[in-house]
Parts: sequence; C-alpha cells; structure tokens
Amino acid sequence: MMKDVPTVNVDRPPSSLLERIYLGPIFSGLGVTLRHFLRNLFGKKDIATIEYPEVKRQYSERLRGRHILTTRDNGKLRCVACYMCETACPAHCIHIVAEENPGEEVAHEKVPRIYEIDLLRCVYCGYCVDACPEEAIIMSRTHEMAFSDRDEAVIGIEELRQKGPIEEADIGYRPYF
Amino acid sequence: MRQPDGSSIVLTTKLQSMLAWVRKNSLWPLPFGTACCAIEFMSSVSAHYDLARFGAEVVRFSPRQSDMMIVAGTITDKMAPVVRRVYDQMAEPKYVISMGACACTGGFYRAYHVVQGVDEFIPVDVYVPGCPPTPEALIHGILELQKMIQRGETHYDRLSQKGAGNAESASI
Amino acid sequence: MQNPLPSKLQSLLLSSEVCPDGHVEMKVERSHLLEVLKGLRDDPACSCNLLADICGVDYPDREQRFEAVYHLGNLDSGQRYRVRVGLAEDDAVLPSAYSLWPAADWFEREAWDMMGIQFEGHPNMKRILTHEAFQGHPLRKDYDASQRCLMTEDDLMVPDWAKEDQASADDFETQILNIGPSHPATHGTLRTVVRLDGEVIDRAECEIGYLHRCFEKMSETHGWNQVIPYTDRLNYCSSMINGVGFALTVEKMLGIEAPPRAQAIRVILSEFSRLMDHAVCLGANLVDLGALTNFWYFFQPREEIYGLLESCAGGRLTVSYARVGGLSHDVPPDFEERCRRLLKEIPPFLDDVDKLVTTNRIFRDRTEGVGKMTAEEAIAWGWTGPCLRASGVPYDVRKAAPYMGYENYDFDVPIATTGDTYARYLVRMEEMRQSLRIIEQALDQMPEGPIITGDHHVALPPKARVYSEMESLIWHFKLVFDGIHVPKGSAYGFTEGANGELGYYVVSDGGGQPYRVKVRPPCFAIFQAFPHLIEGHMVPDLIAIMGSLNIIAGELDR
Ligand code: SF4
Ligand code: SF4
Ligand code: SF4
Repeated sequence: MMKDVPTVNVDRPPSSLLERIYLGPIFSGLGVTLRHFLRNLFGKKDIATIEYPEVKRQYSERLRGRHILTTRDNGKLRCVACYMCETACPAHCIHIVAEENPGEEVAHEKVPRIYEIDLLRCVYCGYCVDACPEEAIIMSRTHEMAFSDRDEAVIGIEELRQKGPIEEADIGYRPYF
Repeated sequence: MRQPDGSSIVLTTKLQSMLAWVRKNSLWPLPFGTACCAIEFMSSVSAHYDLARFGAEVVRFSPRQSDMMIVAGTITDKMAPVVRRVYDQMAEPKYVISMGACACTGGFYRAYHVVQGVDEFIPVDVYVPGCPPTPEALIHGILELQKMIQRGETHYDRLSQKGAGNAESASI
Repeated sequence: MQNPLPSKLQSLLLSSEVCPDGHVEMKVERSHLLEVLKGLRDDPACSCNLLADICGVDYPDREQRFEAVYHLGNLDSGQRYRVRVGLAEDDAVLPSAYSLWPAADWFEREAWDMMGIQFEGHPNMKRILTHEAFQGHPLRKDYDASQRCLMTEDDLMVPDWAKEDQASADDFETQILNIGPSHPATHGTLRTVVRLDGEVIDRAECEIGYLHRCFEKMSETHGWNQVIPYTDRLNYCSSMINGVGFALTVEKMLGIEAPPRAQAIRVILSEFSRLMDHAVCLGANLVDLGALTNFWYFFQPREEIYGLLESCAGGRLTVSYARVGGLSHDVPPDFEERCRRLLKEIPPFLDDVDKLVTTNRIFRDRTEGVGKMTAEEAIAWGWTGPCLRASGVPYDVRKAAPYMGYENYDFDVPIATTGDTYARYLVRMEEMRQSLRIIEQALDQMPEGPIITGDHHVALPPKARVYSEMESLIWHFKLVFDGIHVPKGSAYGFTEGANGELGYYVVSDGGGQPYRVKVRPPCFAIFQAFPHLIEGHMVPDLIAIMGSLNIIAGELDR
C-alpha cells in the first residue's frame, strides 16, 4: 500500500564547487535581501508594518472580541436569562442570576438581575453566541483591552449593554446561520 | 524638545518624571512564552506590528538585561518555580505584563496542573485579556503600561513609595 | 472484513473482532500480553512496525478497574490493531513493551503518571507530565479535576546519573549542563539535561510536562463540542487540523459525515494551517541557527493566512471553527478570491527562503549529517510525519488512510533518504508546495451546499428557525443542555497533523460528555528519541536538531 504512493524525492546532490566556495549562494542571497530592501525603500507598497495604533488593519466582521448584550427597541435587554450561554461556556466565566420580569410584558417572563462575564477568564470562543436562542448576546470587535486589576475585568450588565443602535456598533462575531 | 504626548520637557522637570519617561520608552521585554500566546507575541515583534516602534524591540531572554516580563502562555505548577526564579533575577525596576487568559487567570483550564493566574506568585501590572490576545491588544497593553509608568502607578512605584526599598519587592 | 489474525495468535486471545473503525481488536489476559504483542510485531501476517499509542482507561465499576489499550499499526499494509488488557486496581502492573518497541518508553511513563498503571521492566518508570511532588493519578475518575498539588524549586527533576556526576566535582572530564525549560532555543518549555564530555554530549535526558494543561481531564468534564476549543490549543501552530481530527473521530462514532462543502473547506484550511506550521518550524529553526531574515519572510504570508482564518472563524490562532458534523458557519463570500491571491503570493516567499538558505554552505555544513535517523529506528520510535519521511518512509495518513476526500486530490509525498536535519528541512519545504497544490484543487472542486449536517441530534439548528419555530428551539435547547449523545463505544481516529499522525482515541459511555479522550500527539513519539539523537553531537547541534523536529509544547505535554 505504501509502495504505490506517489512520492517526490527531495534529496539534493552534494554541494557543487560553486556552492562550496560560498560566493554564489551568498550573492544570490544578498540579492534577495537587497531586492526587498530597495523595493521597500522606493516602492513603499511592500512594507508590511501597520502603524498601529494610528492605523488599524481591516478586521474581519467575525472577529471575536468583547461581548455585547443586545437590547430590544424599548431599550430592555433581549436576554431571557435562560442560562444557555452559561452552560455552553467552556470557561464557565458567565455568571447569571435571574429574576421575574418586573415589567408588564408577558412575552418573556424572566430577565437577568446579574449578568457578569469575567473577561480575563473568557477564551473568546464564541460558544455563548452560538448557544443563545434570542440573539441576546453577540460579540464586538473590541479586542484591545488591558486591566490593572483582576476585579476590574468582571463586567456586568451596564458595561455589556448595547450602546446605541446596533448598526453603528462595532459588531463582530454573531450567529451566522 | 517635545515629548510624544505634547508636553514640553524643560531640564528642570522633576527628575522622577524624566526617569519615568526614559524607562517607559525603553522597555526591554523578556518574553516568558510557553504556549500559544507566545506565537502571538512573535507576531507582535515581527514585521506587521513591529514592537520596535515603542522602544521595546530588544527582546532579551536574559533576565538580567530586561525590565518588562511578558508572561505569555499557560503557567503550570511545574513551571511556576521557574517563572518565579526568572522574575527574581530581573534587575529593578521591573514590570510584568500578563498576556492572555491563561496567564491572567488560568483561562478555561480550571485544572489540576495549571496555575490560576500568575499573580499567585508574582505581581502583575497589566492584564491583557484574550485567548490569545491579538498583537494589537498586546501593544495596547504595553502602551497602557507606559502610561502607568509615567503616572507612577506600577507595583514597583508603589513599593518604592512605601519605602519598602528595592529588596523583596516581589513578596506580595 | 475477514479477521486477519494468524491462528497461532488467536489461541492466546480472549476474543478478537474487526471493529467499525477498521481496527482489529483483541482482548488478552495480562499473562499473554507480551507474547501477543511480540507475535503481532513478528508474524508476517501482521508485522506491526508502529506502536502508535498506549492509553489507560479507568472504569471504577468494573471488576478489573483499569484497561490498557495498545494501538498498533502496519505501515506497509495500513492495517491497524488494538489490544486491550484489563487490570485489577490492587494489581495494576503490566510487562513493559519497551524491549519490543522503544516507542513504548514515554507512552508507558504517561500511563503510569496519569492512570497509575505500573510497567515492569521499564528502564525509567517515573512521572512524566506532572511534577515530582504530585500526589495521585489525575486521570482516574475519582480524581477531582481542580485538585492541585503545589511544587517548590527543590522538586525540580535532576536525573540520578546527573546527581552522581555533580557529586564528584573533582572529575574534570565531564560536566552537567541544564538547558531549559526557559531558554529561547527550547521553544518555551522543553528541558534537557546533558552530560558533556569535552564538548560532546555523551548522555542526555529530557524533562517535559512544563506545559501540561490537562487536556484529557478537561475533555472529560466538557461536552463533545466544547472539547474543540481545547483541541485548538494542542498544536497551536496549526489549530485547525486538531479540531478537524477530533470532529472526524466523533463523527466516525456517530456514523455521520460532514457535508462535502464542509469537507472541502476543512481541507483548504487544514492545508493552510500545515503550511503555516511548517513556516514557523523552519523559521524558528533557522533563527536558532542564526538566519533571522527568513523568519520575517515567513511571517508575511503567515499574517495573510491568519487574516483568512480570522475572516472565516473569527479568531486568528485559536479558530474553534470545526464542529462535530461540519463547521460553525460558512466561509465569507470573498473566500475563494482571497485563497487564490494567497496561492499566488506564497510561492515567491518560499523561493526567497530557498535562495537564501537551501544552497548556503554554512547551513548545509551545520545540518547535513546532524541528527541522523534511519528508517527502521524512526518507525520503532513511533515517528511519523515529515520527520519520518525525511528518513525515506513515504507514510502519510492522507495517502495511507484517506479522509475528508484526500483521495481525490493529486499530490505527492515528499521523501528524502538521509534522515538528517537538512533532509527534514527539505521535506518541509516541499510539503508546503504540495499543500498549495492541494488547496488549488480543492478550490476548483469546491461544492455548494450546507456546511454542517442537518441531523439535529448533532448540530444546532439554523438560528433563523430557532428564533421562529418551537421545534427547532426544543432541539437547540436539548443540544445545549444535554449535549450530543454519542453511542457507547470507542474509536481511534487518526489524521495527518503537521508533525505526523495525530490520533484521538475516544471512549464514550453514551453521555453528553466524552468518557475518555486520549490524544496521540506526533511530537510525543518524536521527542522521546531526542536524547538518543543528540548523543555524540555537540550542544549547537542539539539546537539545530530540536528545531528541525518541530516540537510544539502544547501538543507534547497536552
Ligand atoms: S466567548 Fe466562550 S469563553 Fe467567553 S463567555 Fe462566551 S462561551 Fe464563555
Ligand atoms: S443564552 Fe441568551 S437569552 Fe439565554 S441567558 Fe444567555 S444571553 Fe440570555
Ligand atoms: S490564553 Fe489561550 S492562547 Fe494564550 S496560552 Fe492560554 S490557551 Fe493559549
């Protein structure tokens, strides 16, 4: 079976004289680096460096960053505290406490009283987004964060709540199908 | 002469902030890279993100020559004494950035062999979340540390203010 | 399929059958184990030259609490064998297979460390992944997943022979040198203790486990799909391949297959990941040898591939893209265009590196003849992947046991015959070009259609239906809370990882979580030969060899 596998042999012959006196390869090597250097010096197009933080690269629309709890038109959270995201989370970094909806609506009975995500535990896998049956949790493209304290990183409903209309938000990973 | 943030430096500026300015712009990182995060650290120093633009290009693997330790990757119980020893060997002033969920809290490894956050045994100045944090996030963390140094809010500053001296600054 | 075991062996077995995953499975008594293994190795009807894996499984309810499972294979015919042997708790001792295959060395130590199965006649029966001060055996079912044991610096491992040598300090002839675990050239977390005679290494021992993140225990405490983010962190240079490998194994157990479009996308992204993995390996290897420029050249296409992965999955490195039954979602509309652009952009970078390095005399002098491995030795140590192919064995899982439609793609398996560091470099270079070939064909043939199976016992129903239909909502609810129910049983699935055969041995008890997941990481088998490979070489060669083996700690230590 292994015998009729198509193979290509990549062995190389011993160094030729030219290669052994070292000058040929070194000049062709220098040629390569010189080409890159000149192209970068005069061409500009080739420079790979992104001048972060002034310039940012084009992020994917699916980038998994900090979470957003989406809201309904009336400004209430869509979340119905069903605990599915908490269950699906491999890092167990979501903490929800539900309460009866104090409002008048009958459409959904529960709302979260506490909804906390530990951003330092979270591994940004997006499983919570996939698990949510209400599209109540999605992810933004905000991924540059830094904390100086661990407690600071546990954020609650107010920080997570969607700010402004969703079209303008910097949204990243969402349920796609 | 002007500083990047626009304020002018006169020679009479307090020596303190002068020192801080010098320090923050020549942070030589010691990457304590163990796992996946180390790969993203490599991306940060390579051509696309080029950490050199922030004075942090001299990646030193010798603790004696560096002043910012970047813990990138999961630290296990087996590795912990090594981290601690490397940290102790660093010359002061020294700062620690903990990069990634694992180094910050253990991440999703709530497990029998994983340290639940390097701050169990070394003081951490900046936590950068992400798994792995993007190079941008790491750079953001380093910029944040630079600001903290300028403001004098790092662990090192706090300890020296308290007069605890330089020795045993790490025993938190 | 006929049971191909010779009758001489049959008589030693308790039972034997051919499993749905194609393995010939045998149950034996402990007293016959060595005889059976020897028979499997030497009998011309089987001639298993590869010991792929040894795994311990704990069944607290059985009378024979532990079970050791050996996976063997014949590389020439592709036939696979599995040997099970039961053990009572108070007498968990097995004869060591080290004398048959040196590959048993670390696998047996691992079984001891994780499960507490002793191996008699093993030359160095010590803990391997956890530290010396560790109490208990973590993969036993009664071990709490979060129970930690702290360690102090005094517990750092020093091999006995090194201690003796240190004691006799007046002996100027030899010197003990400790390299790692925190050393730039050891890629993070590998530690090697060597004894130098002059400048030549005359004895070496590796210590691993500095990145033991308890992958297997974590898998047992998470749902089937939740394991996928963990697999991403095994070989983090090519995370896509790991996730796909795991999903394929579970799909095998469920008896389903991902739709053709998902397979094609998996192939494309796996091959890109392989390319990236080789690029990191070669780049890092060359940096260790002092050639920094290549590293920057390799990183440029890598960033582009990261961009591609990010546009599909949302993550650059840890993609979490595969799901049991398919993929988490479809590729973006500009996927094909981006891939084709990459196909054009990558070869010039490879050519640049080729020009800089391949014929460079310094590089050749430093790598040729260094770290030589013959084909027989390599197989006996359990080597697979590019390192084995560099020794002249054209074994590639994509050809030997094609999965995901690899049989439809036309590509060659690069081999070299010298088996040294230079050969490994050449093989990896060529493999990158072959990967590009596969990607091109897969793009040409990419079918339309769904990207995840429609079976709602396995895959979450489409979101639009969850929002509107009661029935879909119930399926969704059940899947999230109960998980997938994989039928009782076990399977060994293997795929070609970037470093070689990546195997998953998965046991299910019918519940929503795996009962046991054992990874067969290619690095593990490769690295155990490392001490033998470096003996007789100098310290700088050690760096060159280690780089060329491409040891990824996440996969090595799990
Ligand atoms: S992204 Fe993953 S780890 Fe983070 S909260 Fe969601 S499910 Fe948990
Ligand atoms: S899954 Fe969605 S609706 Fe349910 S608790 Fe989480 S965010 Fe709220
Ligand atoms: S935080 Fe994530 S990417 Fe970083 S080391 Fe841990 S698992 Fe790997």
